[in-house]
Amino acid sequence: MKIILPDKSCRDAGPGPVTVETLVRDLGFDPVGVIVARNGTLVTEDAVVENTDEVRIIRIAHGG
Amino acid sequence: MRSGSSGSPTGDEAVACDDVPVKTPRCDRCSGPAVFHDKKTGRHLCREHFIADIEKRVADTIRSKNLIIPGDHVVIALSGGKDSTALLMILARLLPSWDSVRLSAVTIDEGIAGYREDTIRSADRLVMQYGLDHASISFTELFGGTLDAFLKGREPEACSVCGILRRKALNVAADRAGATKLATGHNLDDEAQSVFMNVLRGDLPRLVRDSGSDSKGRFIPRIKPLMFISEKEIAVYLMLHGAWADLPECPYAVHALRGEVRGMLASLESKYPGTMLHLMESKTRIEAQCAGRLEEEPVRHCRECGDSCSGEICQLCTLKKTLSQ
Repeated sequence: MKIILPDKSCRDAGPGPVTVETLVRDLGFDPVGVIVARNGTLVTEDAVVENTDEVRIIRIAHGG
Repeated sequence: MRSGSSGSPTGDEAVACDDVPVKTPRCDRCSGPAVFHDKKTGRHLCREHFIADIEKRVADTIRSKNLIIPGDHVVIALSGGKDSTALLMILARLLPSWDSVRLSAVTIDEGIAGYREDTIRSADRLVMQYGLDHASISFTELFGGTLDAFLKGREPEACSVCGILRRKALNVAADRAGATKLATGHNLDDEAQSVFMNVLRGDLPRLVRDSGSDSKGRFIPRIKPLMFISEKEIAVYLMLHGAWADLPECPYAVHALRGEVRGMLASLESKYPGTMLHLMESKTRIEAQCAGRLEEEPVRHCRECGDSCSGEICQLCTLKKTLSQ
C-alpha cells in the first residue's frame, strides 16, 4: 500500500486489508481531523483499504 | 494541493461477508459509493446526496433562524480559506432562488506574512468565478500597520488583538459595501469551541449573546449559516467540488486557548460522536432558560471614537493605546 501523508511524503506499508479509521489512527492522526482518498476517490472511515491501494491522507487545516 | 476528486465510483466491489467490513460502504439513499459517514447517526451518503444534504441543512438553518430576509444584501466575510469559500459556494447556489437577495463579498488583509497572501489570491479567483462584487480592506489602511508589526513581542495575545481589529475592519468593509447582513464562515467546530471556552471562562453573557439578533441597529447583524456543518463536512464538500485548496493555517493559532480546546473537542467527538452538536444544544437550552432574565448592559458610546461599547472606552481604542506604546 502506498500512503501519501499530509506533508506529501510517501510511505510504503502493507497492513491491509484494514479499515481507513484503523489505518489513520495507526499513523497517529485523529480521524476527525483528516479526510482520506483511496485511489483518488474519497472514502469513509469504515471503508477498507488493501495493499494494492494508493491512500492519500489530507489534513483539514483550521480556520478560514 | 488542489484535488479534483469527485468521489465517483472506482469499480470497487463490496466484500460481502458477514464479519468482514465492506470495502466501499454504500449510500443509505441510493446504494451509490459512500463518501461520508455520519458516525452519530450511522448514515452513509454518496457524493450527490451528501452535497444535497449539506445545502438543505444550510437552507434550513437560514430559514429556521430567519437569518436572511427578502431585500437583504448579504456580504460574505471572505478570507479565501475553506469555510468562507464553502459559504460563498453554498449561498451562491441557494440565494438566486430567494426573493431579491443580493450577495457580495469583502476580504480583510490583516498583514500576516506567509499566510494571508495565498488565501487572498484564492478569494480573488472565487469572486471572479462567481461574478460577485468584492471589496478588500487592510489593517495597514485602517490602523496604520500590519498585524505582524503590531504583534512583535506579544504573540500570545494574537487572537484577541486580531479579533478586535478584524471586527472593526469587517464592520467598516460591510458598511462601505452597503450590507444588511454580514455572513461569516463559522462552522460547528468553531461554535462548539466557543461554547466550551465561554463555559471555561464562566462568561454567561457571552455564552448566550447572539450577534445576529441583538444588534439593535448598533452594527450590521452577523449571521453564521454554517453553524451546524462540521469542519470535516465542509472539507468533504469542497473536495467533492474540486475546490479544495491545501492552504496554510494561521501561524498565530498555536498561541490560542482555542487551539487546546479544539484538540480536546476533536478527541471527544472522535470517541463520542455528536459531542459538538450536544454542546450547541446545551447552549440553545441555556439561552431559553436565560431569555429575559439577564440584565442587559446599557449601550454606551466610546468617548474617543463614538462607536457603541459597554464601557467608557471601546476595546479598539483601548487596544490602539497599547499598540502605540
